[in-house]
Amino acid sequence: MVERRFPRRLGSLGPMARFVAEYVDSRGFDPEHSYTVDLLIEELFTNMLKHGKGGGPEVSLKLGGEREELILTLRDFDVESFDPTSAPPSPPPIEEGGLGLRLVQRISDSIRYEYVDRSSIITLTKRFPL
Amino acid sequence: MFEIQVETGGLVKLSGRLDAAQADRAKKTLDTVRESATLDLTDLDYVSSAGLGVIVNMFKRLRDSGHGLKLTNLKPRIRSVFVYAGLDRVLSLE
Repeated sequence: MVERRFPRRLGSLGPMARFVAEYVDSRGFDPEHSYTVDLLIEELFTNMLKHGKGGGPEVSLKLGGEREELILTLRDFDVESFDPTSAPPSPPPIEEGGLGLRLVQRISDSIRYEYVDRSSIITLTKRFPL
Repeated sequence: MFEIQVETGGLVKLSGRLDAAQADRAKKTLDTVRESATLDLTDLDYVSSAGLGVIVNMFKRLRDSGHGLKLTNLKPRIRSVFVYAGLDRVLSLE
């Protein structure tokens, strides 16, 4: 796994995408897959910003796996627990809210939430069959 | 990098990355469009739920005033985001 920390603010989306592009390029993934990974990270990260009460100055993003399967872990420090995997079912697509989690649930292959030492930790896997 | 350009005849061109950091800027520009419109997404590389929300908001606003909205020239990865979100059943994707 490769870890990098980013300021806990929306402006980190660009630097996160560059981190993803570097990782995808170095581990034999199709470069096109970086857009999918960016989307999963953005939806989880913005969900943290919106619903995670508290929060430290930075979040941790870890990327692992190669070629066919990517594992990503986002950790939000010093925050109250908010489990996105237990969120209520998404409303119809044209209604407000819920779109981001709908995308994460449909695109990812697995998602796990843990709350450890006042940190919200989300681990997600995405397979890219060759 | 995200760019949005309103042209004559209700044509709006979006390019680059429409993510949560750019959604407010996109909404401000799209809110200036008051009649039937076409979003040309030829050069749109990335969209997230924040961007989808802005487009859905525009669709509903135009629909409620008797106008329409079409989306054209979607890259396959952009189209797939609309499909995953279930919006292909609501919006006109050409």
